[in-house]
Amino acid sequence: MSERVVPTTSSTVCTLAAITLKRLGRGKALWIGGMLAALPPAFAVVFSATKLHTRQGTPVPDDLFTISAGLLVMLPAMFVGASIGEEIEERTSTYLWSRPIARWAVLAGKLCALTPIVIVLIAGGWYAGVMIWAQAAPSLTSCIALAAGCVATSVVAAGIATVVPKHGMALTIGYMLVDVFIGAMPFSLNELSITNQTRELTNLFGGQPAIATPLIAMIAVSGLWAAVGFVRIRRLEV
Amino acid sequence: MSIVVADNCSKWYGHVLGVSDVSWKLTGGIVGLLGPNGAGKSTLIKMMGGLLQPSRGSLTVYGQSPFYDIEVRRRIGYAPEHEATWDELSALELVTAMGRLSGVPAGKADQAARDALEQVGMTSAMYRRVRGFSKGMRQRTKLATAIVHDPDFLLLDEPLTGVDPVARVDIVERIKQLGAAGKTIVISSHVLYEIEALTSDIVVIYRGQVLAEGNVYEIRTLIDRHPHRIRVECDQPRAIATALASEDHVARLHFERAGLVIETRDPDRCYDQIAKAVLASRVTVSALSSPDNNLGAVFEYLTGDGGRR
Repeated sequence: MSERVVPTTSSTVCTLAAITLKRLGRGKALWIGGMLAALPPAFAVVFSATKLHTRQGTPVPDDLFTISAGLLVMLPAMFVGASIGEEIEERTSTYLWSRPIARWAVLAGKLCALTPIVIVLIAGGWYAGVMIWAQAAPSLTSCIALAAGCVATSVVAAGIATVVPKHGMALTIGYMLVDVFIGAMPFSLNELSITNQTRELTNLFGGQPAIATPLIAMIAVSGLWAAVGFVRIRRLEV
Repeated sequence: MSIVVADNCSKWYGHVLGVSDVSWKLTGGIVGLLGPNGAGKSTLIKMMGGLLQPSRGSLTVYGQSPFYDIEVRRRIGYAPEHEATWDELSALELVTAMGRLSGVPAGKADQAARDALEQVGMTSAMYRRVRGFSKGMRQRTKLATAIVHDPDFLLLDEPLTGVDPVARVDIVERIKQLGAAGKTIVISSHVLYEIEALTSDIVVIYRGQVLAEGNVYEIRTLIDRHPHRIRVECDQPRAIATALASEDHVARLHFERAGLVIETRDPDRCYDQIAKAVLASRVTVSALSSPDNNLGAVFEYLTGDGGRR
């Protein structure tokens, strides 16, 4: 039979990521996510057809970016928050907890599998939208900014789902709505908003190019939630 | 050497007691964990499997805490009580994944999964998704996930619940084979005859405490001393009562609105005599039942609660 070894962390993370992707591919979430990701190109078609400029002089309509950034509210919650929350809530985690694996690897595996999907959907939707609107590719900076926003939001979703697994998806959406609201406030508090920092990082709408501050803010917020998630999952009993 | 050592081990879920002050050692073989629903069997099994940690006291498996020690969990195979699993996967994919997560090398995981599924009689259905499985097939698949990495110590939480009689016999046989192969197995159930079919070593757990442990026949004798109640709903309860009143095994006769309740120390004899009385007096029986056909009543009797009824 098998050799008596404990799996390495990298093999555990890879196995969990592969299982997560396989399950995702056979479920409905990917289809729903794909439809949501099609919103920016769909709006771009409408904007192009109506010649609607929401802000004159900008290379892309800010409404288009707002829609893409708005997907940050939905998709990480839908993929990461729901996946981790359901695993704990529906007790399939009992299979994992009894295995000789580091429990934080469960979070890492989920994040490794699902965050790229979220990035592809959101940044892909943005890319397609701009291509339709401007007949040119968006700036690499804007795509990277959205990807950074996806990573940060996915980590937040993971952290929230470990604290409140039953409502992981709903609470992540709620948290991100508050994040959008805080981001729109004209106070320094908006520095803590992931959506605001994503917008800052894109440097699409003029002003001084800023990289360090948005990145530091995103790392701080997501790092806090990552710590919550990893501490919580280490102590979690199922 | 003891495989499991529980030392004044307690577990609470908030204010709800799961296991209370359990001190117990397991040295090997197949051991049945017997108790009614909510007795604390699953809690004890989960603590042994590393899914829960004691609120007070300690519980070690192979000398280590299974909750924190990854190495010791490599030696444990756990099949949970619930049916939830990754339904999107096929049985083979599920068991292979569990093998990988238990340390079976990538190149051998597929074969190990096939072997495990063969051992539990699931070869023909291994490419089917778990979503469409019957209860019995799910139980077998769970068993395969527990044995795929060749563990030394198996924890099977109610593996026979909801399984049809044919599958039950098969699963019992396979568990016995694992025991014969040298595995230490803890199997829980709330049905005495399920445990009796597997092992003679049992631990009786009730209200979170180990009530008794030892040979199943000793426990059975203890249980048989408990006056067994039989309720007969009929049109002539007095005719049956007259026939049984002088029998030495009858402890008490109690008339109810729709019939009679008999307390007996020899249920088999009592059932025979009820049948004879029914035929002799041409009694019309509308229902015959036993309020004691659940372990809860027996455990209440064993703990002394029954005496207060």
